[in-house]
Amino acid sequence: MMKWRGWYTLLSVVLMVGAASGCKSWRRGRTPDAGPGGTGVVVDPEFGIQDVGMGDERIEGAPLAVKFEPVYFDYDSSQVRPSERPKIEKVADYLRANSRLRLIIEGHCDERGSAEYNLALGERRALAIRAYLTGLGIDPSIIQTVSYGEERPAAEGTGEAVWRLNRRGEFVIIQ
Amino acid sequence: MSMKESMKHLFLTAILFGAIRTAAQDVVITKRGSERIALDDSGLSASAEGASAVFARTLRADLARSGWFETVGPGRGEFRLSGTATARSEAVEARLQVVNTATGRSLLAREYRSAVAEARRLAHVAADEIVEAVTGRPGFASSRLAVIGKRGTAKELFICDSDGENLRQITRDNTISLYPRWSPDGKRIVYTSYLKRFPDVLMIDLTQGQRTRLAAFPGLNAGGAMSPDGRFVALILSRDGNPELYVRRLQDGMLTRLTNTPRAAEASPSWSPDGNHIVYVSDVTGRPHLYIIGREGGAPRRLTMRGSENVAPDWGRNGLIAHAQNVGGRYQLAITDPATGETRTLGSDGADWEDPSWARDGRHLAAVRKAGGRSGVYLVDIRGSDPVPLLTTGDWFSPAWSP
Repeated sequence: MMKWRGWYTLLSVVLMVGAASGCKSWRRGRTPDAGPGGTGVVVDPEFGIQDVGMGDERIEGAPLAVKFEPVYFDYDSSQVRPSERPKIEKVADYLRANSRLRLIIEGHCDERGSAEYNLALGERRALAIRAYLTGLGIDPSIIQTVSYGEERPAAEGTGEAVWRLNRRGEFVIIQ
Repeated sequence: MSMKESMKHLFLTAILFGAIRTAAQDVVITKRGSERIALDDSGLSASAEGASAVFARTLRADLARSGWFETVGPGRGEFRLSGTATARSEAVEARLQVVNTATGRSLLAREYRSAVAEARRLAHVAADEIVEAVTGRPGFASSRLAVIGKRGTAKELFICDSDGENLRQITRDNTISLYPRWSPDGKRIVYTSYLKRFPDVLMIDLTQGQRTRLAAFPGLNAGGAMSPDGRFVALILSRDGNPELYVRRLQDGMLTRLTNTPRAAEASPSWSPDGNHIVYVSDVTGRPHLYIIGREGGAPRRLTMRGSENVAPDWGRNGLIAHAQNVGGRYQLAITDPATGETRTLGSDGADWEDPSWARDGRHLAAVRKAGGRSGVYLVDIRGSDPVPLLTTGDWFSPAWSP
């Protein structure tokens, strides 16, 4: 007990000396700079500069107006249901008949679950459709995938009637 | 003076000297628990209006939001905050003092000055210094939130202050922007953008206003999270045919793949405070759960066992992992200690709570509350006070506290 008190007294004395000498001018607190993002940041709208070595090219070009039926998925699943296969086979037939075209497959999810996880799930759906197409003999180098997760629902609202329309893969033919 | 009290005072003295700081923090935390420290702020004076009033009002609100204090009347405080705030011409100036009323000792005596336009910011800085002087722990009033806001069909990146004020729109791309995370120096934000039609991981330099693409491979590029040393970025890429976890060295772009799960998806990486591990989401068992893997790869360890899903982890500097856990179809906030594997849920008010982000005090989270088709950002005290709304006009997602 006395030991602690002794230390305490000693420290207090040191402190008072310190405080007394500091009284003439108050210590300056941290000065607030506007800081990163503190004021209006203008983000370069032209962006697209300093890439860190990207590697493979992406498919670019104008989408064609041709429409294909969406491929629907079960909840939390990226397996192509047997009932959905004929839809993909139609796309394969079209690509075989139009050999200069390319394909982007969009993967989508319903609104349930973590949005960030849904982005990966949507990608797996698009990749599952891509794998089915390549299994039919379509050149994989003309097909790329884009996942929108739950960001682009086909139908708004909640409930299974809406959700089943949103768990889907869509086809965009590129010139 | 009892043994316990004199111990406490010794430790508080030690805080002032910057010595045995860790021990001091432990004492404050274990002694206080969820109780609040009685703070007499009746000696804080400012004009009724103008910049000095803004300063005093913001300071009081920050101290209340910190969760540490209850304000009490004159003579009843364990600590007394006094001082004056004045505004003249272009500048606002404040002199603040915090005194331990039992000992009469001064814990803080400082002068603050800024342009009138920065009065709120000045108050945030002062609030953090007061919190630290009394509790030995950092405050978060001067940190900022990066957040995604809905604008029509687009989602854009915004930044606001810790109280939800001073909201600024950073991107105007009219596309989807997702999952912002700060660089460890607080000067850059890494996020996912569909600016070039496909999801790319971009980095915005907030001081220059420039953007760099960190990953733009065919397929998915998401989950961008910078390592604590700022040299690496964790990524979720599907370039090899399936979404997997990678680490990319920023200096030369070298990629290291950490997972190999052809039948599963990975998402949401977050680095351990020492940068040696990454926690992430994987549905390798059929449902999304949390796993931890070494920064160089190796065998992942499953972290969460309870709940039907565990998602959106944020590994705090306090060593704890905040995440969302699905129980009975509802998402609740949860905190898992990776050392013990123990999980504590923060309870439910019937809404879904998602996407937690640790504030730098290790006590508060920003998180998304979803109810009735609306999505707002709230401040959650993990010690159980009621959540405080920060952004609730419009729809807001993915809050991330700056370091």
